[in-house]
Amino acid sequence: MKYRRAEDSPLFTKLKGEEHMIIAQIIANGILMGFIYALVSVGLTLIWGVMDIINFAHGEFLMISMYTAFWMFSLFAMDPLIALPICTILIFVIGVLTYLGIIRRVINAPGLTALLATFGLSMFLKNLAQFLWTPNFRYINNSMVSGKTIELGSIVIGVSQVVAAVASIILTVAVMLFIDRTRTGKAIQATALNKNTALLMGINTKKIYAITFGLSGACVGAAGALMATFFPIYPASGALYSVLAFVSVAMGGFGNIKGALFGGLIIGLAEALGGYMLGTQFKYAIVFLIYLIVIQVRPKGLFGW
Amino acid sequence: MKSKLVLLLAVVFLTTSLLMGCGAQQQAPTETTEETEAPEEAEEPTTVETVRIGAILPLTGGAAATGVKLRAAMEVAQDIINGEYPELAKVPLAKEVGLPNLGNAKLEIIFADHQGNPEMAKSEAERLIEQGVAGLVGAYQSSCTKPASQAAEQYGVPFVAGSSSSAALTERGLNYFVRVAPNDDIETAMFFDYLIYLNDKYNADIKTVAVAYIDNEFGVHAKEMVEKWVKEKYGALGFELVGVVPYAVDVTNVDTEVQQIKSLNADAVFHASYIADITMFVNKYKEFKVAPKAVLNYCGGFQDTQFVVNLGSDSDYFAGGAAFSAEKLGDMPELAKINEFYKAKTGADLDGPALEEFSSVLVLAEAINIAKSLDGDAIIEVIKNTKFDAPYYATGAIKFDAKGQNEILASYMVQTQNGKYQAVYPEEIATAEPVVPIPDWDKRN
Amino acid sequence: MVKNKKILFIIIAILALIPIITRTKAVLNAIILLLIFATLGEAWNIITGFAGQTSFGHAAFFGIGAYTSTIVFYRYNITPWVGLILGGIIAAVVAAIMSYPCFKLKGHYFAVATLAVAEIIKQIFVSWDYVEGATGISLPIIQRSSGFAKRLFYLQFNEKIPWVYICLVLFTAVILLCSYLENSKMGYYLKAIRESHEVAESIGINPTNYKLYAMLISAFISAICGSMYAQYILYIDPFMIFSLDISMKIVLLTVLGGVGNVFGPIIGASIFIPLSEFTRIKLGGSGTGVDLMIYGLLIILITCYQPKGVIGIVQKLTEKSKKTNVGGEGKIEATSGN
Repeated sequence: MKYRRAEDSPLFTKLKGEEHMIIAQIIANGILMGFIYALVSVGLTLIWGVMDIINFAHGEFLMISMYTAFWMFSLFAMDPLIALPICTILIFVIGVLTYLGIIRRVINAPGLTALLATFGLSMFLKNLAQFLWTPNFRYINNSMVSGKTIELGSIVIGVSQVVAAVASIILTVAVMLFIDRTRTGKAIQATALNKNTALLMGINTKKIYAITFGLSGACVGAAGALMATFFPIYPASGALYSVLAFVSVAMGGFGNIKGALFGGLIIGLAEALGGYMLGTQFKYAIVFLIYLIVIQVRPKGLFGW
Repeated sequence: MKSKLVLLLAVVFLTTSLLMGCGAQQQAPTETTEETEAPEEAEEPTTVETVRIGAILPLTGGAAATGVKLRAAMEVAQDIINGEYPELAKVPLAKEVGLPNLGNAKLEIIFADHQGNPEMAKSEAERLIEQGVAGLVGAYQSSCTKPASQAAEQYGVPFVAGSSSSAALTERGLNYFVRVAPNDDIETAMFFDYLIYLNDKYNADIKTVAVAYIDNEFGVHAKEMVEKWVKEKYGALGFELVGVVPYAVDVTNVDTEVQQIKSLNADAVFHASYIADITMFVNKYKEFKVAPKAVLNYCGGFQDTQFVVNLGSDSDYFAGGAAFSAEKLGDMPELAKINEFYKAKTGADLDGPALEEFSSVLVLAEAINIAKSLDGDAIIEVIKNTKFDAPYYATGAIKFDAKGQNEILASYMVQTQNGKYQAVYPEEIATAEPVVPIPDWDKRN
Repeated sequence: MVKNKKILFIIIAILALIPIITRTKAVLNAIILLLIFATLGEAWNIITGFAGQTSFGHAAFFGIGAYTSTIVFYRYNITPWVGLILGGIIAAVVAAIMSYPCFKLKGHYFAVATLAVAEIIKQIFVSWDYVEGATGISLPIIQRSSGFAKRLFYLQFNEKIPWVYICLVLFTAVILLCSYLENSKMGYYLKAIRESHEVAESIGINPTNYKLYAMLISAFISAICGSMYAQYILYIDPFMIFSLDISMKIVLLTVLGGVGNVFGPIIGASIFIPLSEFTRIKLGGSGTGVDLMIYGLLIILITCYQPKGVIGIVQKLTEKSKKTNVGGEGKIEATSGN
């Protein structure tokens, strides 16, 4: 069956004036969404880079943070933006506990064992959420930022997403500064480069790992609070982002925070523009295809060394 | 080192005990099968303690929210059948304890979880059949209902699907399968009739239609039905399908999709979406000020009362097909009572799919009662040849055609107005006038 | 080698005896799935355990196999036995096409690339009308009264017992192939590549070629498992068959059993599949998620206390009896123990 749209798809015909505006809007959406992917990816890339562990439960940390924001909002009328520090600290603690309780025991085991352990954790957390809070879809509809928009000409941007994007940049820069400028950060870098040498140099690598896991949790905790203002919240909501976060981390280069930011942005733009041009059902396939292309040119990611 | 081994042994022990426990559980029902089968051969009314039926639902995973609600609705049906409710006299099996023709046997629903996975749906169906269930209900997602009902067919066990809406289900020529919900074929025709009604009575001037659908079995079927009906009938009546916007399963955002819908600029948008997606869509419609004259939803996310809870006043003026509207409770005392029971369990009003699953249990139980037997052939015979009373439906009855489709349309059009699902079409059962066109977002209060 | 054969014989004998002890469908169903996934684990082990290339995309080959035999039967009424071989060949071709550019990637970059390929293939199948797209295919059922010969020809059985034995034969064949491979020249080459790409190259092994062979064999076996699975369930759609869940299940159960060991997949599957099946059967009806919570918790416990995979216990026990001291393993114990 032929549709009117198929014939004047932007791919086949010259863009009309109106179409330019739509493309501009879509680019804006893609960038904003990209910052959100970056937000989720930063925490993941830290663990992946420093400890060479894929944290399968990363999405579940995100989900717990979103639920925390939701409950703070519905029980104490606390806006998600105000609850952000609470979410951050809570997931930081959960991250550290995860390391102490689980990861510490499997980190020296061969390759994928940690993946198996975090898979178990993800299964546990996802269903714990269902057990405690029912599988109902929750949504924060009237926070400070939800539903408000900024209009730039004919481009409409949601305030909640702008806030998330700004926070994403701040967070990324903060983590980068932390890694580059502080003693602990340098210790993390050293541990990432070579664990045994770091150990010889007197770095307490166990402590460093615990901090890294906590830091990763803190990042994703902040992401959860920001995303709670415009995404539905349910036990499986975090899992949606983890696969895309894997891709953005790999695209940027494992352990590279700047890479995760750009990886996220590329994914956001690819799915928005690609989806618009080639069909929205393909938007994730396009993201994966772009990863395969990027990785051919840069086999260790955009910023990998 | 030693403590590690001990712990591991403990884990292994736990697993084995689970395994053993299961074996034990399996044993017991096998005996009952034999028990129940023996009297059948004698062709006499059976007297059994309990009649077991199996319910297969997505109780964990992505669709768990719906699955858990459907489970509650089925439990309400079970309670009504097993208890004495004189005030529900019109509802079959309500006023007597259990199934009167089988010596007031109690009905027991055995629930099983398929996690949205067709493989598990099939194996759970087989397991329940082996446990000696007299019939099966479920399985919500059509992709799971397909293999589960195929297993039921193989063993000659009746399968009454409540809310699975794929038209393909009743086109497979299965003998032991019926479905209560209107399929997406019937629903699509109702959507167009509703649009004609809006055009005629309210001068809505709706001509162009677009479909936004999730790119899976549910959505693709809905889209195909729109294409089919436009080609066969409604195209000639002035409707044009201007485009379709599919979106991926597990979509994380719908910005681009909403831009496409906006650029299509259709008068009416048909949505085949689940609750997470439709919530994001409404949010983005508001953000990008997209206000088609009408938005009609297939049975999915819109009908979930969480839609209104989550979106507040933004949820207003969306419409969809549903078998339930809380606004009709005043005219339907039975439904009001059922809703009360359901609300006590879940804290929320019934919705369309929940009511359909509720009725699937009642239909199966009544058929077992009429057949006076647990034999699959006898039960399906009754199911296919009986007009079941269903005072909880606006249309009052359920009757299956030769293919197993309920031919009495159970659903009607509802529209959200002030946070309530109002019945708006057909006119004779309406509780409120439809609001058309949907007001622009900045003109809402 | 002799000892291993004994273990293999015991495993197969136990599995072959189960249908005689119990005919409970839930148990037989678990055995069938266990065998299919153990075979998949063996296939995955060839490319990951032996050659060291982690694949997170084996659902792609599994799905191609499932779809090929189904389509061949559904569209042309050709026996699934033909489709099974054809599916294996197509999967191997796809594996060759995707592997060649991917093999220059290392470690997790390769893993994510395989995941990406599987997701792309899934989307292709979702949108491809010839294979019925997102709607999925219900396999046409042959007459209920058909004789055994016809049932075998069309690979459709009313009973589960033939399935147990077919899957057992398949599994036995694959595990024999794998243990042969492990001890063949190719097996040593692959392990050399796993340990060090550069060293392997320097002693004259062409890593890309050997990795490619491993991938082809792995894809071929996975596809056959896919055909079996499709014939067993009699319904397929892209979401169930190409799901990341399947790819991960293969990885996880092999890791649970022990990567790089031919007995790893069967040990892992023997724990993983019954655990998930029976927690679900026992507690899944409650709708509270308790079953999967327990399942997750048990997996955490097993990995925490046996990080080398369950095969580690077996090895430990045999080592103890031999009283030999292996330095490498001791080190791992020491660090993970405290």
